[in-house]
Amino acid sequence: MRLKLSILLAKLAGSLSKNVLRKSGETIPGRVLLALYPKAISELSKSRKIICVSGTNGKTSTTKALVTIISKLGTVTTSPSGSNLDRGVATALMQKSEYAVLEVDELHLSRVITEAKPVAVLLLNLTRDQLHRMHEVKRVADRWAVSAKGAPETLFIGDADDPFVELALAAAAQSHRVSFGGRKHLDGAVCPSCGIYLKWNRNDYKCACGLTNLNTDALFDSGSAAYRNATLANVTGQLLGGKAIAIDEQSLERSVNREYNGVKANLRLTKNPASWTEALTSVTGNDVVLIVNSREVDGIDTSWLWDISFAVLSGKNIVVCGERGLDIAYRLHVEGIEVEVTNNFESAISKFAKGSHVHVLAAYTAFHELVRA
Amino acid sequence: MSQIRIVRIHNELLGTYGDQGNAEVLAFRAKFHGITTTIIDVGYNDPLPTNGDIYLLGGAEDAAQLLSLEALQRDDNLNILHFAIERGAVILAVCAGFQIIGNKFWANGQEVDGLGLLDVISVPGDKRLVGDIKTISTVLGFELTGFENHMGRTILGSGAEAFGKVVTGNGNGDSKFDGAVLGNIFGTYMHGPILARNPEFADLLLTRATGRKYAQITDPLALKYASWRRKVIK
Repeated sequence: MRLKLSILLAKLAGSLSKNVLRKSGETIPGRVLLALYPKAISELSKSRKIICVSGTNGKTSTTKALVTIISKLGTVTTSPSGSNLDRGVATALMQKSEYAVLEVDELHLSRVITEAKPVAVLLLNLTRDQLHRMHEVKRVADRWAVSAKGAPETLFIGDADDPFVELALAAAAQSHRVSFGGRKHLDGAVCPSCGIYLKWNRNDYKCACGLTNLNTDALFDSGSAAYRNATLANVTGQLLGGKAIAIDEQSLERSVNREYNGVKANLRLTKNPASWTEALTSVTGNDVVLIVNSREVDGIDTSWLWDISFAVLSGKNIVVCGERGLDIAYRLHVEGIEVEVTNNFESAISKFAKGSHVHVLAAYTAFHELVRA
Repeated sequence: MSQIRIVRIHNELLGTYGDQGNAEVLAFRAKFHGITTTIIDVGYNDPLPTNGDIYLLGGAEDAAQLLSLEALQRDDNLNILHFAIERGAVILAVCAGFQIIGNKFWANGQEVDGLGLLDVISVPGDKRLVGDIKTISTVLGFELTGFENHMGRTILGSGAEAFGKVVTGNGNGDSKFDGAVLGNIFGTYMHGPILARNPEFADLLLTRATGRKYAQITDPLALKYASWRRKVIK
């Protein structure tokens, strides 16, 4: 009874926030629910099959793809887009369903596994991101591995080419290890399992302690991050009895098209070295806007901009903006690439002629503001 | 000397916090002075070059820090560093790298002997120190800004002098001082990377490495960036 009442109040709070305060109202219900009923996640998970998706990059789009697959099997609830902390999870679970596909933040995954007891957890990748909050990649990986070990009923599916993902897969009682033929990892110099210098042979690693991306349960061709995530969604869906869907890389990239006074803009989310490097490969045109912010979810420090090679931007028309526009302007300057610095996105996009196609690579908060507007 | 060799030590291990940019900024600033540079990336299994002019170490996670230490203690590497110091070469060591060149530090819950190039010891603190940091450098006499993200508390011995006096942030953990300096050996907790955020410090390192004074560089963007960060970090 108390749970039902808490849900009612949480929903009321959500609609107040949405209709009166004009906020998105996505996380408020979950926040209120957890405050009123701290065990809500475990209670609400009991009656359904939970599937979690976590990783540094690609959580939102992979969750969406997986929802499409699972919805053929039964009713599904899912997290509000990008809302992946415990409150987002709680919000998703307030609605009744047979399945719930939840996008879960890397650091919140342990709690969600303990409380929601998922049937399956899909681990996409783990690379340096928001180090002010994550502190160390290895710290997050260790938490994943401990959670995997402590959840023998749960099937862990993941990309074994990422040694940090493999650490969790190797710790799990039930795992389905996927490989895309191996891939270099920016943070892969040290074995996350035993701490020695990790032995790489081209794109494959094989440590003396046994950690390896070889001999996986499934082997696919190599491809873009979007393709890998879609494939992992398909594999997960199939293991749960669903049918694979066609892979549409474009729709899976976190990219959105908008028009600003006749200027066509393709907006893409870029938030860490791995996602920037991936996004830079898609910059085919000459006109580019880069937006760098430094709020909590963006990462409050910008040192990581120096981990990225921006060489592909050389010779293009580049305008930068955002709270830390100067940081990226100077980083590019040192790489020999000159840009124009503007105060905000409106003035950045106005620098381009009507009819031009502009690639906009945007920090997390900037991307969401532009998409919502 | 119109050519210098910048040695980036174990970037694959000590490159977690963006400090590899220090080498790029040095090379970039050097160009203004008419100095040609070579950046030499030293891998875990490579010997250190004997003729480097500036040796750089960056921040790392614990396991990587221990591997880097082990590699630097291997073969002739430590002698090469001692000889480099005698020659007047510059060492800039950030965060985990700073701890490595000290006498002792902690990693993965154990105390280990460092390289002993700087008279400091580092011990783990009770909470991680994360955020913007501003100091006034005792050596340079001007403000430096950066970003710190570490558990370590560093205690200076009698043979080392603090690198900076903390204005904002924590530095060595006491909120009073950051880093340590001895001759041309610099240790600090400041990421950013520190030389990107404080290009005048890069110039000083180039002067120290070559023994030559250089004219002031006119690079408006560098100046704008550095002074803006100094202004916003109160």
